[in-house]
Amino acid sequence: MHALQKLFPPTEFALLAVILVLPLIGAIVNGVFGKRLGKEGVTTMALFAIGGSFLASLVSFSLLASAQAAAHAKGSEEAVRFLWKGWEWVRVSGRHDMAQVPLSIDFSVDALSGVMSLVVTGVGFLIHLYSTKYMEKDAGYHRFFAYLNLFVFSMLVLILGNSLPVLFVGWEGVGLCSYLLIGFWFDDEKNAAAGKKAFITNRIGDFGLIVAMALLIYYVGSLDWAGIEGGRSNLLTRVQMWPVGNQVPGTSLLQSSMPSLVEALNRPRYVSAASLVGIALFLGCAGKSAQFPLYVWLPDAMAGPTPVSALIHAATMVTAGVYLVCRMAGVFVLSPAVMFTIALVGAFTALLAASIALVQNDIKKVLAYSTVSQLGYMFLGVGVGAFSAGFFHVLTHAFFKACLFLAAGSVIYAMHKRIHDTDASQDMRNMGGMKKYMPHTFAAFAMAWVAIIGVPGTSGFFSKDEILFKAYTSSVAFPIPDGKLIDPRSGKVALELWGWPSWGPTLLYAMGVLGAMMTAFYMSRLVFGIFWGDFKGWKIVKGWKEPEHDEHHGHHDDHHAGPVEGPKPQESPWQITVPILILGALSIVAGFLNAHPLHIAPLDHFLEPVFKFANGAKDVVAAGSKGAGVVEHPSAHGLMWPLMAPGLLALVAGAGGAFWVYLQQAGGPAKALAEKLPGLHALVYDKWRVDEFYEETIIGAVDSLAEFAVVFDRIVVDGIVARVTAFIVAATGTGLRRLQTGHVQAYAAVMVVGVGGLGWFFVAPHATTTVKPDEATGSYQITAAPGLGYQYRWDSDGDGKPDSDQFGAEASLSVSLERGQQKKVGLEVKNAFERVSKRQVTLFRPKVDASKEGPGVIQIEQGPDGQLRGVMPGQNKPLELRRPPAPPPGPGGPPPGLRMAPPPTRPNPAEPHQHQPGDVH
Amino acid sequence: MTFWFGLSPILVVGLGTLLLMLAEAFGKSPNSANPSDAGSGRSGELALGAAVVLLVGAAFSIGVWMVGPENLEGLEATRPYLVMDRFTVFFCFVLSLGGAFAALLAGGYLPEHDIDRSEFFPLLLLSTVGAMTLVAAGDMLSLFVALETMSLGVYCMVGLRRSPRAAEAALKYFLLGSFAAALLLFGAVLLYGATAHTDLVGIGQAIKTIGQPGSTVPVAPVLLGLTLTLVGLTFKISAVPFHMWTPDAYEGAPTPATSFMAVAVKAAAFAILLRVLVVAFGDDRLTSWGTGWPPALATLALLSMTVANVVAGRQSSVKRMLAYSSIAHAGYALVGVVATMRSADGQASVLFYLLTYTVSTVGAFGALIYCGSRGAEATSYEDLAGIAKRHPAAALAFSLFLLSLAGLPPTAGFFGKLYVFRAAFDAELYVLAVVGLLNSLVGAYYYLRVMVFMYMREPAPGAQPAVPMKSAFVSSALVLAAVLVFALGIAPGWSLDMAGAAKIVVSAK
Repeated sequence: MHALQKLFPPTEFALLAVILVLPLIGAIVNGVFGKRLGKEGVTTMALFAIGGSFLASLVSFSLLASAQAAAHAKGSEEAVRFLWKGWEWVRVSGRHDMAQVPLSIDFSVDALSGVMSLVVTGVGFLIHLYSTKYMEKDAGYHRFFAYLNLFVFSMLVLILGNSLPVLFVGWEGVGLCSYLLIGFWFDDEKNAAAGKKAFITNRIGDFGLIVAMALLIYYVGSLDWAGIEGGRSNLLTRVQMWPVGNQVPGTSLLQSSMPSLVEALNRPRYVSAASLVGIALFLGCAGKSAQFPLYVWLPDAMAGPTPVSALIHAATMVTAGVYLVCRMAGVFVLSPAVMFTIALVGAFTALLAASIALVQNDIKKVLAYSTVSQLGYMFLGVGVGAFSAGFFHVLTHAFFKACLFLAAGSVIYAMHKRIHDTDASQDMRNMGGMKKYMPHTFAAFAMAWVAIIGVPGTSGFFSKDEILFKAYTSSVAFPIPDGKLIDPRSGKVALELWGWPSWGPTLLYAMGVLGAMMTAFYMSRLVFGIFWGDFKGWKIVKGWKEPEHDEHHGHHDDHHAGPVEGPKPQESPWQITVPILILGALSIVAGFLNAHPLHIAPLDHFLEPVFKFANGAKDVVAAGSKGAGVVEHPSAHGLMWPLMAPGLLALVAGAGGAFWVYLQQAGGPAKALAEKLPGLHALVYDKWRVDEFYEETIIGAVDSLAEFAVVFDRIVVDGIVARVTAFIVAATGTGLRRLQTGHVQAYAAVMVVGVGGLGWFFVAPHATTTVKPDEATGSYQITAAPGLGYQYRWDSDGDGKPDSDQFGAEASLSVSLERGQQKKVGLEVKNAFERVSKRQVTLFRPKVDASKEGPGVIQIEQGPDGQLRGVMPGQNKPLELRRPPAPPPGPGGPPPGLRMAPPPTRPNPAEPHQHQPGDVH
Repeated sequence: MTFWFGLSPILVVGLGTLLLMLAEAFGKSPNSANPSDAGSGRSGELALGAAVVLLVGAAFSIGVWMVGPENLEGLEATRPYLVMDRFTVFFCFVLSLGGAFAALLAGGYLPEHDIDRSEFFPLLLLSTVGAMTLVAAGDMLSLFVALETMSLGVYCMVGLRRSPRAAEAALKYFLLGSFAAALLLFGAVLLYGATAHTDLVGIGQAIKTIGQPGSTVPVAPVLLGLTLTLVGLTFKISAVPFHMWTPDAYEGAPTPATSFMAVAVKAAAFAILLRVLVVAFGDDRLTSWGTGWPPALATLALLSMTVANVVAGRQSSVKRMLAYSSIAHAGYALVGVVATMRSADGQASVLFYLLTYTVSTVGAFGALIYCGSRGAEATSYEDLAGIAKRHPAAALAFSLFLLSLAGLPPTAGFFGKLYVFRAAFDAELYVLAVVGLLNSLVGAYYYLRVMVFMYMREPAPGAQPAVPMKSAFVSSALVLAAVLVFALGIAPGWSLDMAGAAKIVVSAK
């Protein structure tokens, strides 16, 4: 251990490079040389890459754990973070104080990313192993593993990146791999369409992420984790959302007739920058993690091979959004409104997706909607400020959902023996009784099943119960006293934050419990449908042999006539059963990582320093002020056991209901209900027709816009603009080409013209002036551009006649103006060739002095009396409020304390502006 | 010893040239039966030798850079004729790299197209030595000699093919080049007459005294000398309107020679242009926006970008399109040169731009070479139609370099353009920067058009599509260039810092 610690010091933690590079090598080798390597080679390469990466993650995790334990023993609350600095990529400007922000390619690992990288590489390895069998007969074997390795690499970049831009690279990388793998069997139109749908839906979310990065650069001036945590108090500033500009356009026309309406329309409305950043980030998270309203891509994404569904669309990629919320916890808690939005969206998504899952028959579809629903739970958890609970659910869900998908894949693999149609082989109405044919698969599936429905003692029980408990007891308080930002100069409230309603926790809790009941019901229905009852796939014939003419396994319909006959469904080989059994076992025992009711919570303690910023928020508000960030219900501790009861009741009701309906009554009540309410059943079966709704509204609107654009394009762009520009370009091009005669004399002639032009420029004098106005004193200084051998003659009174007959060396002239006065000043320049150039400048001093308005940046500080007041940087007395113009570009970082929103910077009007006569044409 | 080490980037290549000439003269030719064609058929080994010499030269440049030429004693002795500062060393590296690429490309191209004439390689090396001395020149005399050393070799390389077309190209280039050289020489004479100095520092100091009492330096010959010097140097960077020779010479020359012209000759000319402007014409009155060389060069930049882009879009030959593209790129780099008047980053941006331009352009010409073979050379767009289906690797490589030329991230070209335009914004040259950006958009059209042909078109029925060649030389050059294009696009920081450290600082004496 000591040797390892020496080898990898915390600031140059090169082990991260090993973790990252191995899957990349695997992807490149399999992608480029895969065909030549053969199946064995590809398998070895892929397994070695992910396995090595997993081992490296394990080592870095243990180093991290021991370092954190050592820090904890010393009483430090700081989160331990191992850094590996790559290189600086680029510097960008755009910060409010115009300082340059370096964007570096750095990677780091802390408790959060350490756990996550273990999950990705560990579960990833098992799924790779599984795929070696599952994809064995596929023609694109090497392509599949190249994509899969590339996915693991991108996911690790996402997790281990030390800043938002690096995370974004990984974010886009996993999106690309997801697209490639959903459409892996792209020969089928449907699969290709599903890939496109996922890609395009994710673009909407990515837009949010880009906006968030831009806002963070502007307000915080940093995009790496430490910088964001350190500068996040700058986000507690107001941003004017309405009106855009100074007033609503056109209202000046109504000013006389309806002054009160105009006043109401033009009243500025503000939000905090933290809310803006938070909502933009959450848009990104909702896209990637399939939350309402952007969840529609995930169920379709199951068109990809089953291991892909398990790895990307259940265990890892889709939890990236939850990871990002956890990572940016310090920013999110600054906005109670955004946190409530997250929790509500999460709870609603959990309910909506669970309701759809109740009636689906395709087993992968059921699992897909179940994934969306479970992701909703995670967002419910992080939304109420229980970041470690939400993250714990990521972990347990990775185990049980990956297990469920892989086990479902195992069943489908068995079904493929005789049913080659993709849809039919996944339809649970064709299954049944698999318990006795596939005992290992059943065992794994059952373990994951009891975990997801939350049977006490399993991992799902502990993680879901913790989320439900926190939903009721945890909430997000104002980061500043009473949520009010007082403008010190006027004493008025500059910005009022939106706070959590009192009924919020109750509502969220109720939605969560209802969702839990539905989960128990649809999952039990799935298990009973697959494993109990009689096998309905084909007629089982003893000693059945594959007919000679039968084609090898494909993924297309074979169109068999008559009832299909076949052998007993067979258990899958070890490459398939071993991973699912491991995952099944993990989904049972992983709960004890965070068993709060039993007071065993090592994971929580491990993660605690990472979320310290979210829970205390001490850096934002001075000590002693009431409430900041995440707060607990006062009697939370006593509520732990009572609140467990509704959850257990939901489990019993859901699972028991399914048992009664599908086993005891053999599905009778469900059929009866569906027949009684055909409309409702069809609506739910069609996924509440959300896709159709989008089709009609958004896509329809985009379509009509596109149609309009096509017409516009055809008539205006192609017809007029393109033709005119094309004509001009073509004509000039042809003209210029004609010059290119090939005659060397012509070429020389053009050169002579060039020499002549340059010569003329240098021989001719140029009277160019710079005016430096000082509106306060009315003194305007005009300076002539210096030139070699220039002499000047001024006309200061504007009468058209020079002041003196002689040319002199005086290159500048000062003129004094009254307010509102306008004056013309003339300049004559004579150069060494005795040629003269003239120029006249008109000066005007405005009536209102614009240069003396107050500065834009006002700090808000807490005085010794505990009151907040505004101070100018460098001054101590409070200020009166004025409309702030451009801020002075101050050097150095942002000063501590709160800031009022600096307005967008404009070029300073006081700066010298050059008049350039006929510059360059 | 430190003295010789300081000069080693140039000396190593010079000595290597002599050795290569001996090897070329006395080595055995496989075609020795035919005395009129002595020396043919040995491109392979000579290309390898030339590339090794140049890469060793590049390695020595890196060594001198690491030690720091300012720490080497006795290196001042060569001033002002050869100024070995960081600026020179930076360009020695770029030029060696560009020359090495050209040698590698020639090693594949010449045998493939049956112009396997071994004198190409000593010529190439001599030109590179000339280019390096040009960059180092701190005196009008050594400048002129170096310029001619560089040019004469290139004239010969252009005419290597001995076809009427190549001869025409070489003659045109030679005639117009001599014309420009004469103007440059005349400019130098005027400057000497006015300032009594041929060294750039002396000229610069003499110009500074103008306007001070007791100054005897006349203004008119200085201005005329400046004009003619600018013309002579902008001819070599092929800025509009001194560009007329470029398309013909580029098209007629063997493609490796074209890439050498587009890369090394242009980079050396830009280097010496910067040195002359900063050292000799760095006076405030000559760098002012109203009256000095910035507006003149800005005009040339605008013309180069716009004219070249407009005409490039109408070419049917890819090689000719790349010729015009090199003119347009000269325009972009000129924007950076103009920005040196007010922006501290101007010089660094030009240096970095030339580095990115070198790797992208060499790659683009190399990919064009790679796409053709004997009897089926790829020159027009039609030749490249559908090549992505038949030879995906060739198409992919070509696309990468085209994207870099167009300036798309994460390639080198993006950062080259970014820093040049940022320097222009810093210098408040908004018109120049915006026109430059618009021109990059126009440029993207004809770069992407190549990709459209490669990926989305099928060859016309009955047409003879280009067949990619097989050459380890060309493919290794392409791989090296591709790695550099990516490396500069993903981690531009270190090379940008180097470009910043390399800039010429005129000490106020």
